[in-house]
Amino acid sequence: MHEVSLMQNLLEVVTRVAAKEGCDRVRVIHVRIGEMSGINEDSLRFAFDVLSKGTVSESGALEYERVPLMTRCRGCNGEFHPNDLVFSCPVCGGMDCEIVSGREMEVDYILTDDDTGMEQGDACGCNSVE
Amino acid sequence: MHEIHVGTDLREKNRLIAEENRDLIRKNGVVSLNIMSAPGAGKTSLLVNTIPHLRDRYSIGVIEGDLQTSRDAERIAELGIAVYQIQTGGVCHLDASMVHSALHRLDLDIIDLLFIENVGNLVCPAEFDLGEDARVMLLSITEGDDKPKKYPLMFRESRLLVLNKVDLLQYVDFDIDKAKGEALDINPDIEILELSCKTGEGIDGWISWIEKFYGKCRNG
Repeated sequence: MHEVSLMQNLLEVVTRVAAKEGCDRVRVIHVRIGEMSGINEDSLRFAFDVLSKGTVSESGALEYERVPLMTRCRGCNGEFHPNDLVFSCPVCGGMDCEIVSGREMEVDYILTDDDTGMEQGDACGCNSVE
Repeated sequence: MHEIHVGTDLREKNRLIAEENRDLIRKNGVVSLNIMSAPGAGKTSLLVNTIPHLRDRYSIGVIEGDLQTSRDAERIAELGIAVYQIQTGGVCHLDASMVHSALHRLDLDIIDLLFIENVGNLVCPAEFDLGEDARVMLLSITEGDDKPKKYPLMFRESRLLVLNKVDLLQYVDFDIDKAKGEALDINPDIEILELSCKTGEGIDGWISWIEKFYGKCRNG
């Protein structure tokens, strides 16, 4: 339900990174969203479509990677996916488990056109050589 | 195409402000509880029924989160308690920056116990650290015993689960053992209390929980 405010943060981050890299158009934004993050993919995509207008991300694609929920048992160190949200270790039965993944809400990377970030003249030397 | 690594957590901004809030709260010797629930579970009623039991011994402050109205804040203000209303303007949760502004408008010097009443919602408030000392989740039995599995993050993130409206248990199909069992599956450390704001049953247990928690925070 807070996909809109998250998308605002996301677009701010992407705009900042793009400006730093000297890029005025972002092709792909790759996000990693955990299974237990409470984020709905459709709502996030909707927020992207609406809020990206007029930003460097406008014509870009949002790539959504869902990260499975994994927990580690502090008793035996085993890692497992909690079936049916029962946080007890299937190996030793321990209940003291920490979440190691599945809470992510992050921008992993962006893809831009090849000449992004290169100084003018560095992109291709052919013309000047000729 | 050219790949630029970003690796930014979208909650980072909130996390940093929450840390500032935590410093501010601790520096002033305040103990804070973030009260979360679905709409209508009885958050404001719980506060209205709690404050009279504590006000002789503690100076109390309340931050009220609401989408549009100030009705909840008015109910608290009637008790003569320092209250600051945050109207989120439709945003479905409180975040750290909203609470940060509220903290600057309260006289933290003289407050011992600060209750932060979140916006009624079982999903989003769980994602936003406000800088509070503990999260308390209120579940009223009329909402159904399936809620822990449907809204796991809320149960995972809370230190205490308060089951409200237990005076209605005989009228609704709420399996209290099932709800408690599933809450414990999701969060084996969660503490659970039962009470009714209507009859006052169980309120004493809640008051002693707050006093114990307050002591633990203040004495390290």
